[in-house]
Amino acid sequence: MSVLAELLAGLGLLFVGLSRLSSHLQHATGWRARQWIRRATGAPLRGLVCGTLAGAATQSSNAVAIICGNLVRGGVFHTRDAIPVVAGGSVGTAALVLVAAIDFRLLVFFALAAVGFAIHLRLDRHPGWRDWIGAALGLTLALLGLVFIKQAPRALDAAAMATWIGPLLSPWLGFAIGLALAVVSQSSSAPTLLVLALLQAHLLDLSAAFPLVLGANLGSGLSALLAAGGLEGTGRQLCHVHVLVKAVGCLLVAALWAVGLVSARLWGSAEPADLLQAAAGGNIALAVSVLFLTLQLAGALPVTLARGAAERLASRLSPPSLEDGASRPRYIDTRALDAPASALDLSQREIQRLVSLLPTLLPDLDQSDAATPGERLALWRGAGAVVRDVDLFLVALMGRGPGPEELAVALRQQALVEMIRALQDTLHDFSEVVESFDALPPLGFNLSESLRTLVLSLADAEGAEDLSVLAALTADRSTLLHRIRQSLLGTQAEAGDEMRRLLLATTLFERAVWLMHRIVVALHPVENDDNPGLSSGAERNEVHAH
Amino acid sequence: MHIERDLVGGDVLLKVAGRLDTPNAKPFEASLMEVVSTTGGGIVVNLAGVDYVSSSGLRALLVAGKAMRTAKRRLALEALQPQIREVFDISGFSTLFEIS
Repeated sequence: MSVLAELLAGLGLLFVGLSRLSSHLQHATGWRARQWIRRATGAPLRGLVCGTLAGAATQSSNAVAIICGNLVRGGVFHTRDAIPVVAGGSVGTAALVLVAAIDFRLLVFFALAAVGFAIHLRLDRHPGWRDWIGAALGLTLALLGLVFIKQAPRALDAAAMATWIGPLLSPWLGFAIGLALAVVSQSSSAPTLLVLALLQAHLLDLSAAFPLVLGANLGSGLSALLAAGGLEGTGRQLCHVHVLVKAVGCLLVAALWAVGLVSARLWGSAEPADLLQAAAGGNIALAVSVLFLTLQLAGALPVTLARGAAERLASRLSPPSLEDGASRPRYIDTRALDAPASALDLSQREIQRLVSLLPTLLPDLDQSDAATPGERLALWRGAGAVVRDVDLFLVALMGRGPGPEELAVALRQQALVEMIRALQDTLHDFSEVVESFDALPPLGFNLSESLRTLVLSLADAEGAEDLSVLAALTADRSTLLHRIRQSLLGTQAEAGDEMRRLLLATTLFERAVWLMHRIVVALHPVENDDNPGLSSGAERNEVHAH
Repeated sequence: MHIERDLVGGDVLLKVAGRLDTPNAKPFEASLMEVVSTTGGGIVVNLAGVDYVSSSGLRALLVAGKAMRTAKRRLALEALQPQIREVFDISGFSTLFEIS
């Protein structure tokens, strides 16, 4: 029972930690950090080395694959560049056994203590550190989960299992047991313990243990797909790459092993198991470690070299999701940062595209085949990711010291991006309220369709005349909405909860219209009394405070 | 949806009945634009027979309103049912169109 409890607790911690890591990393990784990660993994060999170090540090190739998947989903780097890192992760976990005896558990405990003290000392309230500390907490929780998962099999009586299983073990059954144990325990530790117990009890020789080791290797790859949980689209692709690394390693080493066996039968050369044991100086545990390392290298190197094909295969197995597509910027490009005028033109186009996508965040109550709530959630997340990228792009541009006019434009665009972000969130919240009704009351319908009309008009606005009309349409309507709220409070027709949600809808509607008005004024080409320097910090603060 | 067309004084009166929803918005917009392009006076849209207006219907009116403003002509709405009037008030269309 304690084995099961430790396994489930570990999985729970892993899922919570990865979720926190994913959400904080997207905010924490500024432009400079992204550039650094991209440079560090830009060449296959560098990526392989980074992955090996990450695998050695975390002692989990699954963690490396899933963290890379989250980084790819967050737009920090691309699948193709992440493939060598994932491949290296497997090598790192196997290599460390040979070079050092680091107590991974203690490392995780110390890391968790450091994060805990940082939070206790309120360092997480510092704006520049908040998301990094959040990401570190996520990572340490995930790694603590892995510690639990890896510790769980120690409670098993491996010797007893070996006595029971040993005599029954055929090559295929060994492979299946290794695979199943690795999948269930989320690591190759459990089957490794079993193999060592079988070898030490002389119930099995190295040759008969070989299929079990192969199964454990493939199973630990497959377990990444389970641990990936809700990760989908491009994020999940790297879990498939992880399985591919393991599968290729198994196939190549199995083929080599088979050639060795045939050679031994036909020409009387040494059996592969004997060669392996001799290479390990007769140390059976070391021989198993060498076999594991060989499996990782045999998988990692070919997959890294053929990463284009690996990327295509992973893309076919896990096609980009709706959110992946929505979270990719269409125009901004880091190469344009050296030419501020071009960079600002690109960011302006990206901003216009974000405005044109705003209607996708609202339900279309008139069409039954419109986007589902789940699809709208993915579009909202994707649009939010693009907003963050544009903001980072503008920050990077301003950091390069553009001229005064370009700086003014960049600041104006940044203020506009902040308003768009606030509007995206408000439309999302409004949609959730509207969709919470089983039968939407007429007022809810009128609010939703009115807001949709305004947002569609904003998305389609071309030129000063359209913007002037929109400025009139989005003018202050607090008196009207106050009257509607009073009317709602005065009637007993609506049930309490329904009335509360309708009141919330009116508030969100009012905020959305106010934000649209600010955006219209900011987009309006003519400076006027309604457009008093949108680049000021006070204006931006007002957006958050409203 | 059903649309009747009359001439009242110098203005064209369009009496609309039914739902101004997505399927009907395009024909409604086409009818309005046809009147805009083939006549020279004002247009009055009677919505007494309309009991449902969605964003598509509102957008059709917005397109016709833009064309009429460009031509410096009058587009007025009349006889809105209370629930339809509420949509026009909430969406801000009451400030854009003359409503009687």
